[in-house]
Formats: sequence, structure tokens, C-alpha cells
Amino acid sequence: MVDYRDQNAPPGGPYQWGMVIDLDRCTGCEACVVACRAENNVRISGEEEASKGRANYWIRIERYWEGEYPNAQLKFMPVLCQHCGSAPCEPVCPVYAAYHTPDGLNAQVYNRCVGVRYCGNNCPYTVRYFNWFDPHWDEPLNEQLNPDVTVRSGGVMEKCTFCVQRIRGAQRTAQKEGRRVKDGEITPACVQSCPTEALVFGDRNDPNSRVSKLKESRRGFRLLEELGTEPAITYLKKAE
Amino acid sequence: MDLKRRDFLKVLGVTAAGSLLPGCAGETKKLIPYVIPDEEIIPGVADWYASVCRECDAGCGILVRVMEGRAKKVEGNPAHPVNRGKLCAKGQASLQGLYNPDRIQEPLQREGARGEGRFRPISWEDGISRWVSTLEKYPGGAVMISRPVPGTLSRLFSTFMKEISGRLLFYDPSGEGTLQAANRRSFGVDRFPEYDIANATYLLSFGTPFLSDWLSPVHYGLAYGEMRQGRPAVRGRFVQIEPRLSMTAASADRWVPLRPGTEGLLALGIGQVILKEGRVRLAQGDRSRFEKLYGTVSLDQIAAKTEVPREEIIRLAREFSEAAAPLAIGGGTASSQTNGTNTLMAVNALNLLVGNLGESGGIRFIEPLQGFPAAAATPVSDQALLNLKDSFKNKKRSLLMLYQSNPLYTLPPSTHFGEVFDQAAFTVSFSSFMDESTAMADLILPDHFFLEAWGDFLSDGGTPAAGLGQPVVIPRNNTRPVGDLFLSAAKRIGGNIEKQLPWTDFRTMLEDQWKTFLAREVPGQPFEIAWIERLQQGGWWKPEQRLISVSRRPLPESIESAQFEGDEKQFPFYLTLFESMGLQRGEGANRPWLQELPDPATTVVWGSWVEINPRTARQYGIQEREIVRVISPYGEVEAPVIFFPGNRPDLISMPLGQGHTAYGRYAKGRGVNPVILLAPLVDRDSGTLAMGATRVRIERTGRRGKPVLVDQTGEGTRRSPEGRRRSET
Repeated sequence: MVDYRDQNAPPGGPYQWGMVIDLDRCTGCEACVVACRAENNVRISGEEEASKGRANYWIRIERYWEGEYPNAQLKFMPVLCQHCGSAPCEPVCPVYAAYHTPDGLNAQVYNRCVGVRYCGNNCPYTVRYFNWFDPHWDEPLNEQLNPDVTVRSGGVMEKCTFCVQRIRGAQRTAQKEGRRVKDGEITPACVQSCPTEALVFGDRNDPNSRVSKLKESRRGFRLLEELGTEPAITYLKKAE
Repeated sequence: MDLKRRDFLKVLGVTAAGSLLPGCAGETKKLIPYVIPDEEIIPGVADWYASVCRECDAGCGILVRVMEGRAKKVEGNPAHPVNRGKLCAKGQASLQGLYNPDRIQEPLQREGARGEGRFRPISWEDGISRWVSTLEKYPGGAVMISRPVPGTLSRLFSTFMKEISGRLLFYDPSGEGTLQAANRRSFGVDRFPEYDIANATYLLSFGTPFLSDWLSPVHYGLAYGEMRQGRPAVRGRFVQIEPRLSMTAASADRWVPLRPGTEGLLALGIGQVILKEGRVRLAQGDRSRFEKLYGTVSLDQIAAKTEVPREEIIRLAREFSEAAAPLAIGGGTASSQTNGTNTLMAVNALNLLVGNLGESGGIRFIEPLQGFPAAAATPVSDQALLNLKDSFKNKKRSLLMLYQSNPLYTLPPSTHFGEVFDQAAFTVSFSSFMDESTAMADLILPDHFFLEAWGDFLSDGGTPAAGLGQPVVIPRNNTRPVGDLFLSAAKRIGGNIEKQLPWTDFRTMLEDQWKTFLAREVPGQPFEIAWIERLQQGGWWKPEQRLISVSRRPLPESIESAQFEGDEKQFPFYLTLFESMGLQRGEGANRPWLQELPDPATTVVWGSWVEINPRTARQYGIQEREIVRVISPYGEVEAPVIFFPGNRPDLISMPLGQGHTAYGRYAKGRGVNPVILLAPLVDRDSGTLAMGATRVRIERTGRRGKPVLVDQTGEGTRRSPEGRRRSET
């Protein structure tokens, strides 16, 4: 008897997807924010819902002000799902909608989700977003919707998937050709758009991938890593 | 229940028929919208088409992902030299222009009074006839205001307007007129150079918003990333000098605030120190003219006037001159004063002083594309637009044509540009959207959206390239490409204009231009093959860039001081208006993605706000989110306050782009347009509107506003005690 996972396993062991975000390159331009929205059918909340804190951004730019005039400083940090290795969102889901994929993604199964929001409550990064209502696009804006990505209905929790539809697409292609996915072959929408190349995506199990090399930088840190969440994203702090 | 077999079958039959009946014709048509399937369309498989982004005037190459005949996603074209596969928020949101629910769907004719907003659909035949008959009724009376369209469309517009003795004005409200004027004087070159930020080791920027909206933001974003982390062991340093800590300044290693309008003076001070300490790279005998310029003002005077400490000026000078590859750039707040051109010339002088012209990491003029048939579209200044008022008043001109240009929104009311619309006997707009100026038109002949049409775009400056655009989807509405309209008008008018513009449609004209061009660039290759290749690539560019040398290098004769409108006592604040990330000068306001894109510094969405230094706000007793009235000698606006630690205490700043009175459901009636505060002052040398030259005062209203902040970071985000706020209801 063969485990189905073995059949799909890439030659040379499983993947561990990860990202590196270089804060010395990031300028807060938010190209990633719109790119993500376009790729992943993230709803338009509108002014009313946004004012109640219900706007959805799978990736957002956090801003930090430090100091006072004339020494004021403004710092930006893109924050998206950290795809934790030990994710606080996963064990609290009563219906196993939040689960961990073998290749290191925190996946969300939308049609399992019953909307208890425990996962959102438990996420220290507040990167899980709840659909308070069914999404709506004024016609014909809906013609843009990406057919590769589910439109989430009301009552469902949603979050960044590292553009899983792109990952699976590239994996299938590689599998057909009997090889591993090449470094740089997969770019989530945010990474692809980023004008300063601050975002890098790749396989952490491949020691030669850009991600593996960059995350060893002395500038590297992980967000709230003292919580023991083991994030898959390494930030590189701004150089002096 | 006793159900016989026969009854069961009857029920089954009725149910089956019932479930089949309603669907047939209507529903299947919706599934695949073609009777004969397009051979390029395989359901579930994406097609990618190369084109050129037209959401700003940078001309980035794009690849559009199309599935089942619908555009799904826009990505940067990795082969295009301007953006090398990258794209900004505006480019991403171009799909919401294509699928905007408020697009003009058919030709419209005004009903009722002008500006009342009542229109009646008419046929294309009627629409074109009305337009052409008006052209014939007012020979030589036509003026066309178009956004710059360098490429075949520019040639078409120019030829057409020349033949009917009309006037063609390429106008871009966020164009860099001052920079163009300054470079023309400093270098004698009428094009933008490549500012080689990627290879600079020290970047001194005078107000230049190169990471948000200057020249080519994606291009310079790429360069910025390389400057910081693209070279082993070298990290370029970057200092931003401007009165407000902009999004670009946030990325700087150091932000140096100064008094608005004194940027040129500061450049003079820096140059003076460099010259005195002798770390210069000047040609033999060149020193004396620099000494003449830099000897005019003492360093103490400069420190007092700019309010930049003397030590800081000396530090900047030393850092700049000691760097291996120093580069000074100017723009944004530095150029939006009445002395803008003069200021930028003073910045250019710093580059001349350290001799970085043509050097790696310096200013490099690149050889432009040669041989593309007459396609330039040099923008005119705001002043040239304002001068139209006279020609319409004395009836020299009577017919106004608008192409993707909205001067009634972008120009301040204090310029009284509305007079042109009042005086015009007839106004035609070719816009895809009902913007403020189009709403005043008598006739609207809507263009295709750029993703539905053929087109090309010549990028100049640091990355000469001819981008080529093709329709990526079948046009949605009953619109027509503006090029086709002009060609059919030429045919109707006949005579010489028809001889000059003999093409039946714009696509044929475009192909003809490229045939000429490609025959020169790739001789020997059959056009059909070359054309398909160019369409796949998204255009044509040279693999290698050739530098051209610049001989003229004059310095500014002296440093002019900026002029401000509004008495200092009555109007104690400077005003800075900035382009927001997505909305630009209002163009993006009808795209929900961009409305819901948080301002990076304040996280505000869907509205306007006023930025005030928290210390100043405290003096006035203003709470955050309270609505204040901002008053200038020319107008007033009301918006909620957001505390902004990056403002000088004597500076008020506001974002541009909102406050539309038309432009569709997402834009109309949202926020305020701060342009109505502005005085009609222009930069003396270039005639560009001096956006920073109006002084204002503020008044409390006592009312609480509801700006929408999507700040996720909660308390403690602002570590300055003044900015801290309790959690709000």
C-alpha cells in the first residue's frame, strides 16, 4: 500500500515554503496590497464597513511613528500571515478548518469554516479576516474575479495563502516533468509586483534558494518569535 | 403513501422538464460568451497579452492575464526596461478602470443646461456628424487638451490639429514641468536623464517623491532597492530634505525638514561648503563661476533662512562630497514653489560641482529612440492652459476638445479656468469617464479603455522604449477608439487633411508607423514576423543604452526666493498638498481598490484628512479626528484632523485626489479637493502651478469627524507621547 502523499512527494523531499521581507528595501508603496486583492478576490468592504474595522487586507503595511518633530521617524512593515510552524490559530479550530499542510502552509478550508473566529482571536499577528457579510462587487467589477480562487461567503474566516493556487500550479507542472520546483518559479502576487524586490519567496528546504540564503542574514528576525510560533517569514531589519 | 409507478413517472417527467425549461437560451449564452468559440480561448487556461500601462505617464510594460475573454490580473512585463516585471498599485488597479460600473457606455449629447449633467444617448453616426460639422463651422477655432500620448496617437492628433489650424495642448497636471525647464537650462537637453539611483552611494533628495509619484515610480523603486541592498558590501545612503515627512522621506536614513521654498538656498549652502573645503571635481578654470554663485550669501544667513542648523549644512556637504558616487535630485515640494525651476537648477549645480554627469551613480543622458515617425508629446505648462482664457474670450477659439484631461478638477478655481468652458461655443470630450470637465461637455464621444484598444507609448528619459499595446479583451461598451474617430473625421472633412491621414482605422495607421520604424531597426526581417514578435514582447527597445554627452552646463545666476500668497499674520501656515499613493491627482478615485488602499503614513481610507503637527494641534486645542476648517485667501475646506509628527509645526498638509463632484459612484461627493485653496501662482520660469505657494489658517468647528483609519497596530504605534491616543469609541 502506498501513501498518497508519497506519490505526490517531489524528488528530494518535501517543500517548506517561506518568505523573506527586507525592510531596507520596502518603501511602503503598497503595490503588494492591491496585487493581493486582485489575485485573491479579496472583497471591497466600503467606507461603512471599513470604519467598523471590517476591511480585509491579506497583506497590509503597518506604520510606526517614532520620536517627535524634528526627529520624527516613520517606519513601514508589510504584515501578512506568517504561516507559523507552530500556529496558534490551528489547534483552536473546532472543525479543523485551519490546518497545516505538509509543505508548511497554514491553510484555511473555507467550506469547513463555521465562523466561530477562535482562530482570528488566537492569532498574535491579527492577519485573519472575517467576512461579516457576503462579498459584493458592483457589476461588471465581478468580471475581474480570479477563477482560480474561491470567493468567500459571509461568516467565513479568510487569510493569506501564499497564493496557494500559484504554488499548486507550479508543483503540478514540476511533477509532470519529474523535477522539483525551481527557485523563483513561484511568485505570490505580492512578491511579483513589489517594485523594490523587498519580498522574496521560496523553499526553505532548499539550501540554495534565495530565501534560505537571505534568512541567514545578520539583519534577520522573525515577528514576535518569542511567542514560539515559528513563523515561515523572516524579516530583515533596516540597515544603519 | 401509495404512489403508483405511472404517477411516479409523471411526476419525474414534469420535474425534469421544469428544471430544463427556464435555463436554455439565456443561461448557456452567459457561460461562454461566444457563439463560435475563439480559438485562443480554452476554458480554464489563461492567455497573456503584452501591453503598456496608461494609469500614469511612466509607460510601464504590462502582461495581462485573460481567461475566458476577461482580464483577470495585470503583471509587470519582465522584458520591459522601464519596470522590469514590477508594477505599482495604480497599475494593478487598472482592471477596475476597465470593469468600472460608471464607464460611459455610448455617445452622449447634452440635454438641458450645460453642467446640469443630463445627457441623451445618440448614435455614433449622429455624434461624429455633430462633431465634424462643428469643426467645419468654426474653422481654426478648435483647441484640444489631451494628456500626453507620445506615440502614434500623438502624431495623429498633431497632424489633425495642424490641418484644421487648431491648437493642441498636451497637458499633465502632475507633470514635471519645472524639472524639464531646469534641465533645459542646466544641460541644454529637453529630455529627462536617467538618475542612476541604483549605483549611487549617497542620494541627496530635495523633496523628490521618487518612491511615490515622480517621473517613473516603479523604475526608481527598483533602483532604490538596488541602491540599498543590490550591491555586495555597499549600501547607498539617502537623505531627504523637505518640510513634510513624505512617504519617500520615511525610507530615508535621515530626514531634514526646512522652511518651504528655501531648498535652493540650502543647495547653495551645501555647495558653498563643498567649494570651500575643496572636495570638488571641476574642469580647469571652471571654479571661478562656482565661486561667483556660491559667494552671494553667507552660511549663517542660509542657516537662518532655511532653518537648517549650520552644523547640519556642513554635515550634508561633507557627506555628499566625500561619497564615492554622490547624486542630488530635486522635485516635489522643492519644485512646487514660484522659484521651482531656479531651485532645481541649484540642485543641478551640486551635481556639476562633484562632476557626476555621465558617471555611474550620477546623472546620465541616454540616447533617445531614433526614427519613430513624429511622435513626441511635449507637455505644456499650466500657464499655457490658463492663457487659453484670452483666446476663447476674444473668440479666436470656440471649440474645446478634451482627451483624458480634467482641468476643471485639477486646476484651482482661483485660476478661473472655467471661463474657457463658459466661453466655448461647443465642447467635445472623448473621455471614458464622466469626470468634472466631461460633465460640462456638449457632446461625449467615449474612447475605449486602454486595455481594449491598440496603442503605443514611447518612454523617454532613462529608459528609451517604444511600448506596444493591443486589445486584451473585446470592448465591453458601445465605445470607439479615439484614433478611429479622428481618422473618420479627417475622411469627412476631406481635402488635404484626408491626404495627410489616409488610414481607414487607427490600427492600420499604427501598423504603418511600426512598419517604417521596424524596417529601420530590424532590416531584413519581414514585417509580419517582426510585428508579431513586437506584440509578444510588448514593444521595442535597445538591448544596450548609449550615453550622450552634455556640453552646456550653466549655473543659476542667483538664488531666487519663493513668493507666497496670503499675509503671514492672517494665514500663519504653509500648505503642502501631496499626491496620495493610489488616487494621484484624482484619477484613481473611481477605483474601489484604490479608495480602500490605506494612506501609508496615516492608514486613512475612503476620504480626506488634514495633517497637523501634534504640538500645533495642542496649541489650538484640537483633538485628533476633530473637523477643522482650512482657510486660504481663495477658499476653504473642512476635513478631520490626523496628528502628523512629520509636519513642521507651521505646516498643514492634505492629500489630493478626493472631493469629486462627478466621476462616478465611488468618487463623487467623497472628501474635499484641497486644490480650491490654491492661489493662481506659477513658477516664474516654467509656468507650472506653484502648489506650495499658498498660506492658510485653521479654524476649529467643534464637530467630530469620522475619518476611517484601518490601523491594525493599535495603541503604542506612535511612541511620541503627544501622538498617543486612547482607544476610541
